[in-house]
Amino acid sequence: MISSAVGCPMPNLSAEDLRTRLVRDLPGAVQSVSPLKVVPPPAQGHAPAAFVTGDTLVEAARIVDVALYLRDRLNYAYLSDICVVDYLADEIFEIVYRFYTVEGGSSLALKVRVPRENPVVPSLTAHWPGANFHEREAFDLYGIVFVGHPYLHRIYMWDEFEGFPMRKDFPRQGDKYIGEDE
Amino acid sequence: MLKTEELQINIGPQHPSTHGVFRMLVTVDGETVTDLKPVFGYLHRNHEQIAEVNTYLQNMPYTDRLDYFNAMANNQAYAMAVEKMVGIEVPERAEYLRVLMVELTRILNHAGALGFLINDMGAWQTQLAFGMREREKILDLFESVSGARLMCNYFRFGGVARDLPPDFMPRLKDLLVAMPAFVDEMERLLRENEILLQRSEGIGILPKDLALAYSVTGPVLRGSGVAYDIRRAEPYSIYDRLDFDIPVGSVGDVYDRILVRIEEMRQSRRIIEQVIAQLPDAQGGHINPKARQNVRPPVGDVYARVETPKGELGFYLVSDGSSKPYRYKVRAPSFINLTPLGDMCRGYKVADMVVILGSIDIVMGEVDR
Amino acid sequence: MTIEMQRGSVIVMDRRRGKLRAGQGLLQGLKVVWDHWAGSFRTNDNFSKIHGTFTVEYPDERLPMPQAYRNMPVLLFDDESGHELCTGCYQCQRICPPQVIHITQAKDPVTGKMVPAATEFIIEYDACMSCGFCAEVCPFDSIKMDHVYELSTADRVSLTMRKTQLNRPISYYTGIAPDLWAEAQAGAMKKLQGSIKRRPDVIGLAASLTEKIKARRLELAAAGQVAGGGGQEAGVAPAAPAAKLTPEEKAAKLAAMKAAKQAGGAPAPAEAPVELSPADAKAAKLAAIKAANAAKQAGAAPAEAPVELSPADAKAAKLAAIKAANAAKQAGAVPAPVEVPSTPLDAKAARLAAIKAANAAKQAAEQSNNE
Repeated sequence: MISSAVGCPMPNLSAEDLRTRLVRDLPGAVQSVSPLKVVPPPAQGHAPAAFVTGDTLVEAARIVDVALYLRDRLNYAYLSDICVVDYLADEIFEIVYRFYTVEGGSSLALKVRVPRENPVVPSLTAHWPGANFHEREAFDLYGIVFVGHPYLHRIYMWDEFEGFPMRKDFPRQGDKYIGEDE
Repeated sequence: MLKTEELQINIGPQHPSTHGVFRMLVTVDGETVTDLKPVFGYLHRNHEQIAEVNTYLQNMPYTDRLDYFNAMANNQAYAMAVEKMVGIEVPERAEYLRVLMVELTRILNHAGALGFLINDMGAWQTQLAFGMREREKILDLFESVSGARLMCNYFRFGGVARDLPPDFMPRLKDLLVAMPAFVDEMERLLRENEILLQRSEGIGILPKDLALAYSVTGPVLRGSGVAYDIRRAEPYSIYDRLDFDIPVGSVGDVYDRILVRIEEMRQSRRIIEQVIAQLPDAQGGHINPKARQNVRPPVGDVYARVETPKGELGFYLVSDGSSKPYRYKVRAPSFINLTPLGDMCRGYKVADMVVILGSIDIVMGEVDR
Repeated sequence: MTIEMQRGSVIVMDRRRGKLRAGQGLLQGLKVVWDHWAGSFRTNDNFSKIHGTFTVEYPDERLPMPQAYRNMPVLLFDDESGHELCTGCYQCQRICPPQVIHITQAKDPVTGKMVPAATEFIIEYDACMSCGFCAEVCPFDSIKMDHVYELSTADRVSLTMRKTQLNRPISYYTGIAPDLWAEAQAGAMKKLQGSIKRRPDVIGLAASLTEKIKARRLELAAAGQVAGGGGQEAGVAPAAPAAKLTPEEKAAKLAAMKAAKQAGGAPAPAEAPVELSPADAKAAKLAAIKAANAAKQAGAAPAEAPVELSPADAKAAKLAAIKAANAAKQAGAVPAPVEVPSTPLDAKAARLAAIKAANAAKQAAEQSNNE
């Protein structure tokens, strides 16, 4: 059996719909969205506009529940991308999960915010083996710890590497790996 | 029954069949693969952080270097992401030119990928040479329009770098004459060839549900029988005006992936013919808007994706309102398509493992980023 | 099994073996290889053929490069005057993704102010990614992508190219990319005409001069009010000396010779504006697009509004910085009386020996004097 045709008009859920459903079916999973500064406000002049996301913000501990709800109840089974953003000025990491349906259409994004000091989030790899490399990459470059990941090792950098190079406070120049050999 | 001992071997990182600096940590029991871990990062250059230092336009040539086979497709995904964020309207003619280039890219990628796959099977250069020759013609066209064969850097926000040179269309039409003959010939060489069937039928099976759970994309996903093509699933650019079919496999083995790729080349040719027919009527406008050199998107985030020859290439951009991206994330198809490699190889022989890797069609520039 | 969808369908690939018996598939494949082998004795000269050889024996034979081909950036200078088109505006340095362009802006040795020329221009070829952005953003069509691809050296340092190694005559570039150069010329012409139309009095003015212009405009306006209805006519008198002052200063700072042309152009058009246009055409041919336009502007302006002459002049002088030498040549060739105003300016230009532009202008002036 071939999965149903792509391009057929199946109404996609909007982030708004998703939030209402989640509030109804999984109480306590959805967080209210607080605006992000993104960049620290300048010393003088007016600060740039705050970033208020339109996507659904989920409690970190409930992300597996919500993702399974998306997969099993809403048919958003295709986990396309897991991306980490380091909002240094706001002291958080934001992890963006992006889901699609195989029927086609636009995505639903789930966002999870974790504090920078203790970035721990449950792993999705048990349910989506495809999350494996995404999560390893997030661990390697940002130091997000995915609880329950079967093999949470560095994926790009060598195992002995110290620090997480994509973090905004990682020194871009002059760290211990530059200048030793040359 | 003889008691055997498992052995861990490294294939790569410098190995002719690993498609770049890529290492497979294989546990074998005799000749049977019992476990496989892909190890990479040898080409890692922290592309995403380089991008955070550059302005939006400066990243365009860097995207060429992701999947260096398909620079045009990478350009398209990135240009789309920025255009979506800034809200730039692309002139119709520029959209047609983009689709033309991207579909040519798809043909050249599959011609090369199948060649390398047959190379992995041990046929060495036969199919590769034939495929590379057709690829060369397309590269000549790219060179005449963009100035470079591989690192095209052809797309701009709101258009393309320049219009077609006068000798482009005649050569493209010549190429389209050659294309069906080339694809048919390729099919005669590969399809029903007993050696190829032995090496590819029933090898590296990725069932449909597993393919979805592994989030694979592109010909690998379609080879597993899921008719998911972003050009249809979430139409972008002008794909909703073009007729084309989506080939899917039924078993999900290496052979299905070969067949899907051959058919996709035919469909791409079909698209190019429609583009050529519709191009003269397309609205022109400024196809190279130089004013867009320094875009400053409003604060926010955006995700744009395209169907590259290898699968879903997505760019997730976060803007802080400045001229440089705050976060620039590449969702690379080769990287994700590698995830199921261990599962696909388990239980097959070492020689099959090489073929399975070839059938995924990875490019390390994109995997390692 | 096929599923219909909009504008296409899903095809399930047919895995069936055809009517071929065992072994026939192999033979069929061998036939393909045979065809290619047999075809390899002919040359393939056409994209529509799939058989045949189309390789070239590289070091002996070379493929022609398409005009758009880009390898490494080079700088252009004018063939005859040796004047460099680069003004040191830093656009390319700013856009360069790997940051391999390093420019040192020329300074007036007397006043210490920046002048539109580059004393040093370094491109690290070893790190250049050949993206072509520098050529694309250059507002003066000064930096262009070369077609030379054989750059191997034994050491990395020799790939750090200085200005002397980067300089190529315009004729070299027109040789490798005539269409692109024509395009660039047309674009520059259009751009200039657009800005002349839009802002005729301030085009190309250095920021430091806007104050002066503003003051002079006020002065002119005041003069016009005093004179009442005939203000236009009255305006000419104060305008003329002002016109002499500003271009002189500027011309001294930049490259003098363009002003000479203006001075030559201003008196001339009254009786023979027709003669000017062929001169324009020539100037354009010589890549003195902007200068030619300025001349045209100077020629066209006095007919309708003599008041505008002075700013136009000033403007023209500024623009001339780039193609001064050319323009001077033109001016020297067409109207004879030009030489008189050109000499003092020339002397000034000589002071700025450090700047190549000025040098070039001087050379050109000497040529025109000889004529």
